[in-house]
Amino acid sequence: MNSTRDQILQLVRKYYEERHAIKTFDPSHDLVHYAGRVFDNEELVNLVDASLDFFLTANRYADQFESDFAEYFGVSDALLVNSGSSANLVALTALTSPTLGGRRLKPGDEVITVAAGFPSTVAPIVQNQLVPVFVDVNLGDYTAIPERLAQAMGPKTRAIMMAHTLGVPFNLDAVMELVRKHDLWLIEDNCDALGSRYRGQLTGTFGHLATVSFYPAHHITMGEGGCVITNDETLARVARSIRDWGRDCYCAGGESNTCGKRFGQQFGTLPFGYDHKYVYSHIGYNLKVTDMQAAVGCAQFAKLERFIAQRKTNFQKLTALMAPYQDRVTLPHATEHSDPSWFGFVIGVRDSAGFTRNDLVRYLEAQRIESRNLFAGNLLRHPAFENIPHRVVGDLTNTDMITNNTFFIGLYPGIGDAQLDSIQRVFAKFMQGERA
Amino acid sequence: MPVAQKIRCRVERIIDHGGRVYSVDLTPERRVPLFQPGQFLHLALDAYDPSGFWPESRVFSIASAPSQRERLRITYSVQRRFTARMEQELAEGKSVWIKLPYGEFIIEATSDVVMFAGGTGISAFTAFLDGLTPAFPHVVYLAYGARDGDLLIYRDLVQRRAAMVSQLKPFYFVEQDLDQESTARGVMVGRLSVAAMWQCIENPMAATYYISGPPPMLRAISRDLSEHGIHASAIRTDAWE
Repeated sequence: MNSTRDQILQLVRKYYEERHAIKTFDPSHDLVHYAGRVFDNEELVNLVDASLDFFLTANRYADQFESDFAEYFGVSDALLVNSGSSANLVALTALTSPTLGGRRLKPGDEVITVAAGFPSTVAPIVQNQLVPVFVDVNLGDYTAIPERLAQAMGPKTRAIMMAHTLGVPFNLDAVMELVRKHDLWLIEDNCDALGSRYRGQLTGTFGHLATVSFYPAHHITMGEGGCVITNDETLARVARSIRDWGRDCYCAGGESNTCGKRFGQQFGTLPFGYDHKYVYSHIGYNLKVTDMQAAVGCAQFAKLERFIAQRKTNFQKLTALMAPYQDRVTLPHATEHSDPSWFGFVIGVRDSAGFTRNDLVRYLEAQRIESRNLFAGNLLRHPAFENIPHRVVGDLTNTDMITNNTFFIGLYPGIGDAQLDSIQRVFAKFMQGERA
Repeated sequence: MPVAQKIRCRVERIIDHGGRVYSVDLTPERRVPLFQPGQFLHLALDAYDPSGFWPESRVFSIASAPSQRERLRITYSVQRRFTARMEQELAEGKSVWIKLPYGEFIIEATSDVVMFAGGTGISAFTAFLDGLTPAFPHVVYLAYGARDGDLLIYRDLVQRRAAMVSQLKPFYFVEQDLDQESTARGVMVGRLSVAAMWQCIENPMAATYYISGPPPMLRAISRDLSEHGIHASAIRTDAWE
């Protein structure tokens, strides 16, 4: 031990053991969470290490994370932002950039999406004065019905922006065919699907842009955090600008003159040589992360493959223990050619079940089994979305069924055999007629 | 642009070309990120603590090919304070920090290419030239000038590549004909200029022009191209401070 810093970090490891090390699960007292942080002393050590730097804004840990994350996906750029929702906002807004010339999205252009999901997949479409076009989804995998996507094409359709719902890749064969045929932009909302694959290829690498979330419920966490990934360097530069106040300069915080011509360029009608750090080429935001968040992310990222494997194992076990109840509930399944990195275990209550979704969920909650709805269900039934300009292709029958009948329980790596036993016991009692 | 990385390097070799022009070979402590020909790096002489701020640095074109990510070359001439420090302080075995890649001075294969390279400005083109193959779909003209023939330091590379790639048309210029043999060696005496090159280019109005060199040269060549009717969008400069 050779420095005060080393001593502090050693104490942090000790503190982790005293305060956070894994406890045994007591089914009579502890909740089976639907999701949560899974961490060890490394996250705490990194967090304190970054705080001792006191750089505060993105620095070495953010650099490391962005570099490692881009390499994981095999893309040129990964841009950390402060949430998955911000990632969606940055990604979609990037496609409105004048830098893209005639390919930019303009107000009134249409973006194909689904209504069954999380609002911040759709909100950026509305916020950029674009028109969402909603298609219905399959039950079981909860992704867009491929035939409906083709039917949704109209003269103003310019993009597709959808989530790989709860880890299940949407039909990328069908989507990519449309993208190529109609020269569409594709944004993959990969927030719930980190590590999922389609035909062996990581989701998030098919589209022009993709997004990832690091909220605690997700595959890895920074607390708050998200990322935009792209293999298009023009889009990366635009996205970075939109993330960083809209500025033209791409220097990181605390750096200057990265381009080597800070005072030597002409922009618009500004005086020649106006400081590039304060030249704005987009109407942007400030959506950056801190280095403390990135530090936690670095430790989490090192665990990603183990987390994915645990999620897949838990999915298999849950599928097996729910199999006897398939006459009353529907179980989740992957889309063809996909290998999901599951986010949750989605259960649909059949109309003929003899009980409702709320009956079951109320019982589970009373028995300390947490659950969540499939987020918003039908977004168009929510007050904020009721009156947005939009188009619906066909009907949203399945989306409405999800709103009424569907929920999910956890399969995150914090769930082990003890929690699975608890889930099995509680479901068995309910199916035998016990009620809250 | 790919995620920039900060990497410590060892100075492996310093080549003194004379006239206070040097090439420096750097061995990074880990493989550098993918970069494209024409991109540049920042080099810092002072120690860098990754938990703190990046120290003073200057930009240098990456003269080596992107295929060589374990060893990088830069070429510089002593101009002002920082490059004078480099001349004084760089020595084989010394540690320096670089961050890379940066820049958008990327040659596009969309039309005939005309490259104007003044002095060490050639280093913005060497990675491209090193990777040039007969498959390149357009003619590439290179106008390469230096103070004297000894400072045409990448002439051998250009000649080797021109022998393999028939589309590459190199033209050399020196300001001073020190050995009185320049003309015999196919080198024109005089400053790089649009006027000297204009007749050599088969279809000058359809080409894209890339200019790298000292600021006065960039301004002069850009202005002359404009006066010859070349649209601003077809003139790309590698302008640094």
